[in-house]
Amino acid sequence: MNLTSVLIWLPIAGALAVWILPLSRYATGSLAVLVSLAEVGIWIEQAIRFDFGHGGLQFEQRARWIPDLHSSYHVGVYGFSLWLVGLTVVAMAACTAYGFWVGRDRPRAYFGLMLFLTGATVGVFVAQDLLLFYAFFEGMLIPLYVLIGVWGGPGRLGATIKLLIYTMTGSLLMLAALIAYGLHGGTFDLVDGTFSASRWIFLGFMFAFSIKAPLFPFHGWLPDAYREAPPEVTAILSGVVAKAGTYGMLRIAIAKFPDPTGYYRTVILVLAAAALVYGSLLAFRAPDLRGVVAYSSLAQSGLIAIGLFSGTNLGFDGAVLQMVAHGLISTTLFLLAGTIERRTTTGEFALLGGMARGRPALATLLMTVGIISLAVPGSASFAGEFLILAGAFQRAWWWAAIGAAAVVLAAMYMLRAISAVLHEARGSLVQDEALDLRTGELALIVPLVAALLFISAWPGGIAHHSFPADSPVLSIGTGFK
Amino acid sequence: MSPGAWLCLFAPLGGTLAITLAGTRIPRAAAGWISTTSVFIAFGGAVWSFFGLRAHGSGDAHISNAWTWLQSGAFKVGLSVLVDPLSTMMMLIVSGVSALIILYSIGYMHGDDEERRYFAYMSLFVFSMLLLVEGGNLLILLAGWGLVGLSSYLLIGFWHERPSAVAAAKKAFVMNAFGDATMALAFFVIILHAHSLDFTPAFHVHLSGTAMNLVVLGLLGGAAAKSAQVPLHTWLPDAMEGPTPVSALIHAATMVTAGVYLIARTHPLFEQARTVELVAAGMGTLTLLMAGLIALVQTDIKRVIAYSTMSQIGYMFLGAGIGAYANGMFHLMTHAFFKALLFMGAGVVIHALGGEQDIRKMRGIGAHMPKTKWLFLAGSLALVGIVPFGGFFSKDSIISATLNLGWYGWVFWVAALVGTFLTGVYTFRLYFTVFTSEGDAHPHHAAGSEGPWTMMLPVAILGVLAVIGGWIQFSPLWHPLTDWLSPVAATLHVAEPTNTQEYVTSAIAVVVGLAGIGVAWALYGARRRREVPSVPALQRTLEHKFYFDELYDALFYKPSVAVATWWRRDIEEGFVLPAGPDVGETAFDTGRGVGRLQTGLLRTYVFFLGTGMAVLAIVFLLVK
Amino acid sequence: MLGPGIAWYLGVSAFLFGVGALGVLLRRNPLIVLLSLEIMLNGANLALIAFSRHAHNGAGQIFALAVMAVAASEVCVGLGLVVAIHRRNLELDVDRLSELRG
Repeated sequence: MNLTSVLIWLPIAGALAVWILPLSRYATGSLAVLVSLAEVGIWIEQAIRFDFGHGGLQFEQRARWIPDLHSSYHVGVYGFSLWLVGLTVVAMAACTAYGFWVGRDRPRAYFGLMLFLTGATVGVFVAQDLLLFYAFFEGMLIPLYVLIGVWGGPGRLGATIKLLIYTMTGSLLMLAALIAYGLHGGTFDLVDGTFSASRWIFLGFMFAFSIKAPLFPFHGWLPDAYREAPPEVTAILSGVVAKAGTYGMLRIAIAKFPDPTGYYRTVILVLAAAALVYGSLLAFRAPDLRGVVAYSSLAQSGLIAIGLFSGTNLGFDGAVLQMVAHGLISTTLFLLAGTIERRTTTGEFALLGGMARGRPALATLLMTVGIISLAVPGSASFAGEFLILAGAFQRAWWWAAIGAAAVVLAAMYMLRAISAVLHEARGSLVQDEALDLRTGELALIVPLVAALLFISAWPGGIAHHSFPADSPVLSIGTGFK
Repeated sequence: MSPGAWLCLFAPLGGTLAITLAGTRIPRAAAGWISTTSVFIAFGGAVWSFFGLRAHGSGDAHISNAWTWLQSGAFKVGLSVLVDPLSTMMMLIVSGVSALIILYSIGYMHGDDEERRYFAYMSLFVFSMLLLVEGGNLLILLAGWGLVGLSSYLLIGFWHERPSAVAAAKKAFVMNAFGDATMALAFFVIILHAHSLDFTPAFHVHLSGTAMNLVVLGLLGGAAAKSAQVPLHTWLPDAMEGPTPVSALIHAATMVTAGVYLIARTHPLFEQARTVELVAAGMGTLTLLMAGLIALVQTDIKRVIAYSTMSQIGYMFLGAGIGAYANGMFHLMTHAFFKALLFMGAGVVIHALGGEQDIRKMRGIGAHMPKTKWLFLAGSLALVGIVPFGGFFSKDSIISATLNLGWYGWVFWVAALVGTFLTGVYTFRLYFTVFTSEGDAHPHHAAGSEGPWTMMLPVAILGVLAVIGGWIQFSPLWHPLTDWLSPVAATLHVAEPTNTQEYVTSAIAVVVGLAGIGVAWALYGARRRREVPSVPALQRTLEHKFYFDELYDALFYKPSVAVATWWRRDIEEGFVLPAGPDVGETAFDTGRGVGRLQTGLLRTYVFFLGTGMAVLAIVFLLVK
Repeated sequence: MLGPGIAWYLGVSAFLFGVGALGVLLRRNPLIVLLSLEIMLNGANLALIAFSRHAHNGAGQIFALAVMAVAASEVCVGLGLVVAIHRRNLELDVDRLSELRG
């Protein structure tokens, strides 16, 4: 049984089971968490059996789907997609467990949607056929709309509509682009398909991915969606779904359109650098914890895009590493923000403060993740940033200089956020009775932090094992053969 | 020798993990003992490495690699430790002094609610500092560098309920982050040309003059930030918000000396950009004067000692900058001893007075604390550089090394001697005010011992070291330290003074130092004290620390806030956020506009029907 | 060929068509609109027959018969609608009967 397909369809089957079977709240949640953990186990199995020395697609499956259009059900993993699938299943497991721990209304609907989201997102990262990719891409969005629109905060409808408009626009452009590509090239398959020199098709794809990542100035949906969604959904949005955008840039836009990539490289680098600086500065003045992490995500997407579009080996390796590291970081940060909001009903800095006293677990974990987030040397995100900026430096020195300045800004905004929550005087909404992190919450946050620390101790594990022969430029240039 | 190095590196980390994971299950004091033991084990490891290296011959440096930390194509960075003369010297100093200070902390921090957190952070710091000095390549060095900045942030802001402490911690971290960034940029240039950050290829990289200057400037930026040299010095005085042992360890003996270590370690690069290296020396000179002046007006005991540290590191930068690396490192070692001693002595007094730090309120304590007084005196004499105390041997060798450089050498020489005078004045201003004046201060606890043995023993040990620590080298006559370091950090020829120059300089320095002590005695120590001369404008400038804080606030902080607020208001809220709903509204409006065609009136529909058909007919006819 | 030239027939036909069109567009009573519609159809029929006679081709006349059939059925439906509207006591005024609007 093909492990890749299992990774996609097991959670979707789980979703159907949850929707159909009239299980109790507890049973539904447990089933969902079990399926998520099973996913993690299957992924670990896949990672162990993966042959990193061998280029080309592994765990591949190809089946007939729409022969008239030369589109097949073609899935498989490369090194970098393996890591992104891993990120997805781990993050979704943590967030599903969070939903179970917290208890959401209409559990069957909720857990079904979470499981469906898991399957669709894994599908995005492993699909090797453009129509299949598009199907999963859209399939990933539908649960998100519902999850935000039903279980979100007071402004959820506005946030959902904004998200809808932005992503729909992007998706439609991408659909047009992929149809043009597929009909022109004769096949929708990504592995068989040839390079294309068409700038319009490239732009169509890039537009969609720039909205998803997001990059400046297409990020208008980000602040509201991140603030209104339930914390575990925001964690997914920032940690996983955003990476689908950057993955698309790598797998489709850069890999299939080498000439337009070179043509638009400077423009895209400028936009990415703008996202980095703009996001960092806005994070510096954001008045609430979610705002800081949201704009920080915007900045990190910009950084990853710099890595991808620098076109150097260091840049690509760094970008993949940073995708994984930042995915874990923002998932953890948003889950922690959720725990803080549950205790104090707010994330606003003006109303928080002094939470470190009496809550050592919360303080330690928030401080640890916050410090890793600002890329303290020795951490996983430092390794990613260092590689990206070293690669960008090889393109032109000023990208690295801007990046280095952004690192200083990151220190400023992250420390401000940590201190505003943990330090100084007790905030007006912080009660003595607000508990430290409890066992259930620790059970899902500590593994994430442990994973981050492990990657920090050995970032080479990811950076060196993402592309065959560890030369991404060559591997992309030959179409991942 | 490598196992010793690994033991030295990981023992403190083990201590941190043990304390963190044990949490509240262990009593508070136990955390202190775990931490102390782990660092003593580290010292043992350092001793083991040292003797191992000595047996092999100090020319034989050894790099031992644990695993590949990061790799991308040809660029490969291993988690490696280096055992060579320079690193073993630093390992011994760092682990030895740290062990003593952490032992001291057991007494000092006794009773604090968060003792466990404190000791976990202290062990983390020692691990970070050892990673820095033992790092076998530039990236691991940078990792240690950053983690040291992190530990400093955690420890300065230890009493995090105090807004001033939190602010000081953030300031220290951000300034250090700036230094990290400049170092990273320098590394990018090296990677571009050498494809590696291992020491040997990195130091032999071939770069144009400008590029090399920029690389070295980047390294200097990091060193200046970490070592609190002008212009990146403003974080150090604020860092005194942390507990006194933290000031002793981090901001006197170890972290702030990392910049000097960096220059000594990367000296092959510095020597290829001689101008920038001399800039470093100039920075050091400027700092030693400025800090000395500011120390004259400080009234907080810890701040006086902090500015003194800044000033002494200026001497070390001067030594390293002109090429006298061994002299700089020698002063690093003796300074670690007597500065830690001074801080810890001050800590004993602060502890006895229940937290008082203002020297004007400490008058008269000397009568009640004789042991502390004599130890403090020993430290002060070592600091000023009076023979036969430690500072004499190390500081004077730096000053005399400036004499063969040309005109700027003379400038350095004179400035350094003026600095010695200032050192005499401010140090003994402190000593006389606190320990020999008449006053009402008396200790809060019962008469008897001046402090617990955990505090007094390390202070006493450091007192001994402050006296004899300098006896390891007196350059004209015996120089085992310079010989030990020569395989990795050979002194430049221009920085080698003749014996005559050494003797003469030393004599002048002692005289100048004694003159400073004399002035301090006249103003602060004598029974009938002279009036302190008062120049209000000068006083204000010194009290405002030459207005650097205000300058940086205006140059960096306020503009960042202004730009961020401007962008949030006008771009984010003005343009980006409404863009989505605006598109939706436009769609609505267009729809509504088009909808107006559906008037509901029959004749409109008929009209359009007819007209449309007519147009189509004409088009068909024309096309046909 | 007896009688006036085809142009005269077409002229009458155009006249009838125009009168009918004006009636459809300008009159308010639906019965009059239907009447005007009939006049338009008759005008078109006349043109068809005139061309048929001119081109000696019977197709035009047959098509005119078809038009008459369509006219008849459409009038039935239209008058049925008018009667239904009148039964509900609504005003027989096309300007007022405009609920099907955007």
